Amino acid sequence: MILPKPLYNRTEKHSQIRLATFSTAGKVGENRSSHILSQFQNVARSPASRASGTQAPEKVEVFIDDKSVMVDPGTTVLQAAALAGIEIPRFCYHERLAIAGNCRMCLVEVEKSPKPVAACAMPVMKGWRIKTNSDMTRKAREGVMEFLLVNHPLDCPICDQGGECDLQDQSMAFGSDRSRFTDISYDGKRAVEDKDIGPLVKTIMTRCIHCTRCIRFASEVAGIDDLGTTGRGSDMQIGTYVEKMFLSELSGNIIDLCPVGALTSKPYSFTARPWETRKTDSVDVLDALGSNIVVSTRTGEVLRILPRLNEDINEEWLSDKSRFACDGLKRQRLVTPMLKNSKGELVSVEWEDALISVAKALKSAPGDQIAAIAGGLVDAEALISLKDLLNRLGSESLNTEETFPLDGSGTDLRSNYLLNNKIAGIEEADLVLLVGSNPRYEAPLLNSRLRKGYLHHELDIAVIGPKIDLNYEYELLGDSGDVLKQLASGQHPFSKKLAAAKRPMLILGSEQLKREDGAAILSLCQQIAHSASSGAPAEWKVLNILQKVASQVAALDLGYTPGVAKIRANPPKVLFLLGADEGTITRADLPKDAFIIYQGHHGDAGASIADAVLPGAAYTEKQATYVNTEGRAQETLVAVTAPGMAREDWKIIRALSEIVGARLPYDNLDEIRNRLEEVSPNLVRYGEAEEANFVAQARELSKLVKGGVSSTPLDVRLKKLEDFFMTDSISRASPTMAKCVQAVIKQREAKIATKRVWTAKVEE
Amino acid sequence: MGKYLGLDKVSRFFEILKQNGGIRASLSKIYRTDELKFGTLIGEDKYGNKYYENKMYFYGRNRWVDYNNKLMLDYDGSQVPAEWFGWLHYKTDVPPNKDPTRVNYPWMADHTENLSGTSGAYMPYSTVPPKIQAWVPPKPKSS
Repeated sequence: MILPKPLYNRTEKHSQIRLATFSTAGKVGENRSSHILSQFQNVARSPASRASGTQAPEKVEVFIDDKSVMVDPGTTVLQAAALAGIEIPRFCYHERLAIAGNCRMCLVEVEKSPKPVAACAMPVMKGWRIKTNSDMTRKAREGVMEFLLVNHPLDCPICDQGGECDLQDQSMAFGSDRSRFTDISYDGKRAVEDKDIGPLVKTIMTRCIHCTRCIRFASEVAGIDDLGTTGRGSDMQIGTYVEKMFLSELSGNIIDLCPVGALTSKPYSFTARPWETRKTDSVDVLDALGSNIVVSTRTGEVLRILPRLNEDINEEWLSDKSRFACDGLKRQRLVTPMLKNSKGELVSVEWEDALISVAKALKSAPGDQIAAIAGGLVDAEALISLKDLLNRLGSESLNTEETFPLDGSGTDLRSNYLLNNKIAGIEEADLVLLVGSNPRYEAPLLNSRLRKGYLHHELDIAVIGPKIDLNYEYELLGDSGDVLKQLASGQHPFSKKLAAAKRPMLILGSEQLKREDGAAILSLCQQIAHSASSGAPAEWKVLNILQKVASQVAALDLGYTPGVAKIRANPPKVLFLLGADEGTITRADLPKDAFIIYQGHHGDAGASIADAVLPGAAYTEKQATYVNTEGRAQETLVAVTAPGMAREDWKIIRALSEIVGARLPYDNLDEIRNRLEEVSPNLVRYGEAEEANFVAQARELSKLVKGGVSSTPLDVRLKKLEDFFMTDSISRASPTMAKCVQAVIKQREAKIATKRVWTAKVEE
Repeated sequence: MGKYLGLDKVSRFFEILKQNGGIRASLSKIYRTDELKFGTLIGEDKYGNKYYENKMYFYGRNRWVDYNNKLMLDYDGSQVPAEWFGWLHYKTDVPPNKDPTRVNYPWMADHTENLSGTSGAYMPYSTVPPKIQAWVPPKPKSS
């Protein structure tokens, strides 16, 4: 339940201004004053600190269906009714978007008012008696519904929204019980041409009821002003005006927002009805945020992924990669164990043969000649079982693909590698310094939080790194490491701002820590964070690390060594790749006779260099623990069974341990979770983000770091939208993601071509 | 008189032994079929199965098939061809070898026994594309 935040300075005049803005072909300017004017948002976590400055306003009493409710002044009728537990039907109103007030479905009767009022846009007045179920209200709703249905096609049987359509539901609940449709000879309903806005969102514009939710989402949350309206009255159309792709990393959310079937999912079109599918609550692992998701499955097949509400992480949004890469779970899968034959080809074998030959290889090598690399999609259960197994065999070389500097306190103190201030904490910040990170593509929902803070909470953002499009304005401090030095010593002009900030945050991209001078960068950031934290409250944490992969925090919590430098320095005879697909270690780095074992779910870089392949389960196929970049442990649940002979990862390692002769002491999920708790109790406290402390000690230890920051520019790998879609073994296997990359490139080339034509014409 | 003393049972015993080809053959028959019967040979099909009738046994047990000895224990009901099936199950009293009205066209298919559980078993194939596409390992570079 989202408690509405009162709207203080809203008047009817403002909403008219906004409506006017929407009708100018959807160009809501990147002008913050217009957004501040429309302080509409119901923020679930209203920043307590901001409110504490002013006195809480006196509450006013209103009566909803003769039930007395005390609300803050400025609350709308609809929100007041929600507080009284009465839901008023609506199409255009959405808690997280600006109020448009154009669908008129929320009309209710207010006593002594001659006309029904739009509940979503009308602030309550003292003593108002609102009737949500009177004859006038019901008649108004019936009338609005009738007008909506006049031009809405009767194609529910072939519409993908069928069964989860607001218009269907509300016409059943609030519409007239009989039709006045007498147009038997048929002179036609309104018909609108469909728009092509890319490979993810399918448009059937005839079904559109002009609620403008998609436009508001695009301009407010996604920060892309591509969608807008043209025409008026029954000629009004939603679209991009000129045909172009809706180039956003959050575009899938407009499918969820659309109350009718005008915007539906292209990959999921004509696939299933909502009542046929099983829904499993789970957690996304394609970025480090751990967005909460619902996996829809039917007959053992993942059909689609939808976001699940979690105010602390993803609110109710989901990034396009997390949402649409699920078809990658059906391709390039490892379904049988494989071994290399005498010709050097990988051939399918039985589990018994595979495990025996892997065990033979493990037993034949001395402990210090065995090493493991864990990839980015691995769960905590698999990580702990592999660590226990290799430790029993005498190996301490357990590494992750992602690097983290070990100088100073390294990964010993959790505050060094977590997003300490939490994702939701961004909304409370007043200054964010992004260091060498592109959150828009590394963690799109973190970026949407930043944009939310920027629009609604006066958040200022500065960037050290390359010039990138972050869909909000920011101050670019340059991309050289020298900027960090200057900031740390307080010589940079920005230092004053940083010191003056009440709640500053420094978000350091984990990518920078891969550099040679990563330790020095981290150390400088710790010093900057310390000097900036002077004005902040004691519990406020300035230093935040944004991880890029889902498994990293759990791996570091369990004591894995970040980075593969150790393996390069001391090439092992037997290398165990646990879902490591980024190609950080290749055959060339290892001795000629090295035996490589790959365990994972997709045939990618790791499996193609392996001597033995053990098929594991993907994140939709196992009950497993993941820890997000905040340090929040969450678990995925089993939505489908693993394909073919693939098994849950920790079970494979448990079976292997039996054959190697180093039996692991856990036989079921509870026992392995007890083991996880033994190592790090936060790993099994699901849903909680464990606070990390010792910030001061980490800073002191970081002063021991030798060597300074080089002046090579800080760079990020994901710069453009086409870099975002395919970043891991699941999204690389996904045909939808491949289509997205193609479409973005095509759009860019088309843009360049038109530009060329125009410049040529001008030159003539 | 002999009937009252049960002597007919004794004579029938010897008759059964005789018809089944002596003691050894009778023991082998018991081993194969768990019973020993005697009756009139009605006919034999092209697979070497012999069909007997003896009205002395009660209805339902009085017609039976003696499968080809070659089969040993690998016999089953589906080895009875369709024409004898009718007689064996009392659909007709006229055995097929004595029925001139029974048609026999050259295009009629030969009888096949049920091949389930053997390599010749019928296996329908799926017309649905596989839900999961497995990874095909790349061929190693020929060096």
